Amino acid sequence: MDHQNLDRREFVRIVGSAGVAAAAGLSRFEILEAAPQANVAPGPDAAERDLALLALDAARSAGANYADVRISRHNFESLSTRERQITGVSKSESYGIGVRALVGGSWGFAATRDVSRDGVVRAAREAASIAAANDRVAPNKIVLAPVPKVPDGRWITPHRVDPFTVPLETKAELLFRTNDEALKVKGVRFVTSSVSSVKESRLVATSEGSVIQQTFIRVSPEVTVTAVAADNSDSQTRSGATAPSGSGWEYVTGLTLPESASRYANEAVMKLSATPVDAGVWDLVLHPSHLWLTIHESIAHPTELDRALGYEANYAGTTFLAPPEKVLGKFKLGGDLMTFVANRTESGGCATVGWDDEGIAASSYPIVDKGLFVSYQSATREMIDWVAPLSKLKTAPGHSYGQDWSSIPFPRMPNVSLMPAARNISEEEVIAATRRGIYIEGDGSYSIDQQRYNFQFGGQTFWEIRDGKKTRMLRDVAYVARTPDFWNSMAMIGGRQTYQMGGSFSDAKGQPGQLSSVSHGCPVALFRNVNVLRTA
Amino acid sequence: MSNSLQTAQSTPTKGLSRDEMKALCDRILSFAKADHTRVNVDSGVRGFTRTAMNRVTTAGSTNDVSIRVTSAFGKRVASVDTNRIDPASLERAVKDAEALARLSPENPEFIPDPGPQTYASVSGYYSSTGDLTTEDRARSASLVLKAAEASKTIAAGFIDMFAGSEAVANSSGLFAYHASTGVASTLTVRTTDGSSSGWAGDEGADWTTIESDRIAQDALRKCEAWRGKTALDPGKYEVVLEPTAVGMLMSRMMGAFDARSAEEGRSYFSKKGGGTLLGEKLFDERVTIVSDPGFANGEVSPFTGAGDPVQRDVWVENGVMKNLSYSRFWASRKGVPPKPSMSNFIMSGGDASLDDLIKSVNRGVLITRFWYIRGLNPRMLAQTGLTRDGTFLIENGRISRPVTNFRFNQSLAELLQNVQMMGRPTRVCAGENSSAGTPVIVPALKVRDFNLASVSDAI
Repeated sequence: MDHQNLDRREFVRIVGSAGVAAAAGLSRFEILEAAPQANVAPGPDAAERDLALLALDAARSAGANYADVRISRHNFESLSTRERQITGVSKSESYGIGVRALVGGSWGFAATRDVSRDGVVRAAREAASIAAANDRVAPNKIVLAPVPKVPDGRWITPHRVDPFTVPLETKAELLFRTNDEALKVKGVRFVTSSVSSVKESRLVATSEGSVIQQTFIRVSPEVTVTAVAADNSDSQTRSGATAPSGSGWEYVTGLTLPESASRYANEAVMKLSATPVDAGVWDLVLHPSHLWLTIHESIAHPTELDRALGYEANYAGTTFLAPPEKVLGKFKLGGDLMTFVANRTESGGCATVGWDDEGIAASSYPIVDKGLFVSYQSATREMIDWVAPLSKLKTAPGHSYGQDWSSIPFPRMPNVSLMPAARNISEEEVIAATRRGIYIEGDGSYSIDQQRYNFQFGGQTFWEIRDGKKTRMLRDVAYVARTPDFWNSMAMIGGRQTYQMGGSFSDAKGQPGQLSSVSHGCPVALFRNVNVLRTA
Repeated sequence: MSNSLQTAQSTPTKGLSRDEMKALCDRILSFAKADHTRVNVDSGVRGFTRTAMNRVTTAGSTNDVSIRVTSAFGKRVASVDTNRIDPASLERAVKDAEALARLSPENPEFIPDPGPQTYASVSGYYSSTGDLTTEDRARSASLVLKAAEASKTIAAGFIDMFAGSEAVANSSGLFAYHASTGVASTLTVRTTDGSSSGWAGDEGADWTTIESDRIAQDALRKCEAWRGKTALDPGKYEVVLEPTAVGMLMSRMMGAFDARSAEEGRSYFSKKGGGTLLGEKLFDERVTIVSDPGFANGEVSPFTGAGDPVQRDVWVENGVMKNLSYSRFWASRKGVPPKPSMSNFIMSGGDASLDDLIKSVNRGVLITRFWYIRGLNPRMLAQTGLTRDGTFLIENGRISRPVTNFRFNQSLAELLQNVQMMGRPTRVCAGENSSAGTPVIVPALKVRDFNLASVSDAI
């Protein structure tokens, strides 16, 4: 992974962003300027800019006191293979405009694939008309906090190689080499691998005068090896630790997939004859390829402000971190070791952008500072005033995001990352501090309740730790815990050399459901006395 | 869903008509130079209204046409998706798909699509849903919000609808068209102090079957009844699962009825030593599971994405495994006719009311619905997840007290073996995000030995 072996200055540079007042709480990491832009970000297409401004005018003429517009072109390519054959090659393009209008205190949203002058005007009028209907029948009282105007914003994901310039043959060749390495291992019967690439051009314009053109590039490789017992009585899979990333193709080649596949294959076979775990209380040493998902579910989701306020009560749920006035600056979680930073700035992060869908610059700020819950994340313009008096975060941090042109923007989590130890503690030191434990790599089955209390996680591989050493492989492991108890049991974390990012292309939230991409960085970490189940 | 159904119609008011769809497909195919070309088109409108904190938070509407062109040269195949329908973009999409296909290595599993087929006649488009306006949805939401406010509780809900059409066409002359609607309305009511939560919801193809008043009353009643919940030890309990709870579990089984994974040793339906469990009695004899594209208010397209006909299929009959799905490739490999996978999920039931089920329980747990269901072990059809929005202890045939939520770890196969009593089947909103989706028609069930594995503090 590309976050191994970072020196401290470099680490601070990638996580920290420039000039964010809230970052004052980031005491362990001085804030340097953001990474220099590796690529020149293009400005808006003149015709698209005109259409966006036309839509804004139409929405205002139809009675909107505020409107914003997104014109986006979403390109996706995926190549998937199975053993020695291609199972799917696809490319997709989706292009359209979405208009959000505020009439009185109520929202309306309309989106269309018809990006002609007539089409965008129709969509703008429909958005205003939907808002007006809501405002007549069931009025809301939405007020938007002020934000700075960005008349010509431009941003592109830092990358070296645009994945859409890499020939399909090159991609297929890499996946076949990966599959071949896995199939060389006796007992392996199936292997699937794939690589997905995303490139999205997004123009955001607001009736307050912001015009922002961004290009997002992301890649997601995947490998899964299946071993089947000779008599068909059992099968075990090992999915690779191949996190998606907000990066170019260089990230995929840097993963050395064929070499890794061989290890995944050996581990899949070993799982067939591994010892089923004894259920009970164990210490856990969690590798970042596993821990990212536990962070996503039990830290990132419950610190979303919209959940605390009740916006998501009918689906994603609420949170144990509520109400704001009782927990902000008061709730203790994880002790001195634990500092979580919310950011849309971390290099390689899937949620890293220049500005959000309301035209607010990306930022970085602590949400848990040395064990104290200090700030929610995901506040948008209509929500920030609920919590500004209670936390250091005074302005909306830029977390509004719609999946694409067809989806209404709403609060989406930024990258939420666990800061490594100040001292450069190695993984070996963390394992050595464990007398009887289980070392877990890779993400597996996951499930958590709607307030983010009770969770249960599996993994990909499980190794018994005896007297400070990794020993035999175990299987059928899942751990179940109550979120605050679990994080309060964190006894040791690794230093920056153990820091890696994991993430997902498909964090689901909202009604209708929308997907977003997000990453979580973390070091290896030790948790004491966690309840472990045997799943088979 | 007590109201009588409207008659479904085949001419949609949203999305492309049959003639427009045929013209679009013909235009796309006219650009094609591959050995074989397939076109899939989806068109229509998706509309929604969300409420939370006793207000309408967002509402919107999206109008889209999505096109997939799949081109094959020999066994080299690739596809391109676009939503741009001007002639130049369509031509480019076809050319891109052909260029990708030529670059692709051969797929030994590629089977060309069929020629013209005959399909079951299915009308799944209801104008009650297709013509639903933002104002209609706001009025329905407003009634609910007022009821919540009157009872000093906090409501969050979602009304989701789609109306449109889909088509498949190919260079061998196949053309199939289907128009459909879907709508779901769900509601969560919570106390202001966050100490209780209740849920209710409906889903259908026809808006007139959605009972907004009853949804509001049921969610309010659940929220009221769940106040003051107390602890109950985890363990194996007799449970009464309301239809939504059953549907959320059973919809996780839909992908399991697959011949290939069974024959390759990766599924519950794999037989030790090789082969499958086809023809064996696996579940309680009252369990019958079918799929049927023409099921009223649960209609689905009578064709697959490849244009294969979808018929009524019996998957489990009186507890005996009757069928597994065969992809076109796997069917040709095995020398059997292809059988598309399950298109909707329709389970048998009995005559018992929910009250009858509760009355028959000596000591057990009533479960309203589940949350965050995820697979644990495909070989055992084992799933984990949590109860949500109304969990109660039943003692001596009556609800005795509200209890905390639980995480369950449960094999669905064992659940179907442990069925003791069945209610009347009904269409439920089985998707976790409450969008109108794949129809799931299931009864309430009384099941023994359901594994409530650990307590959840969530409300």
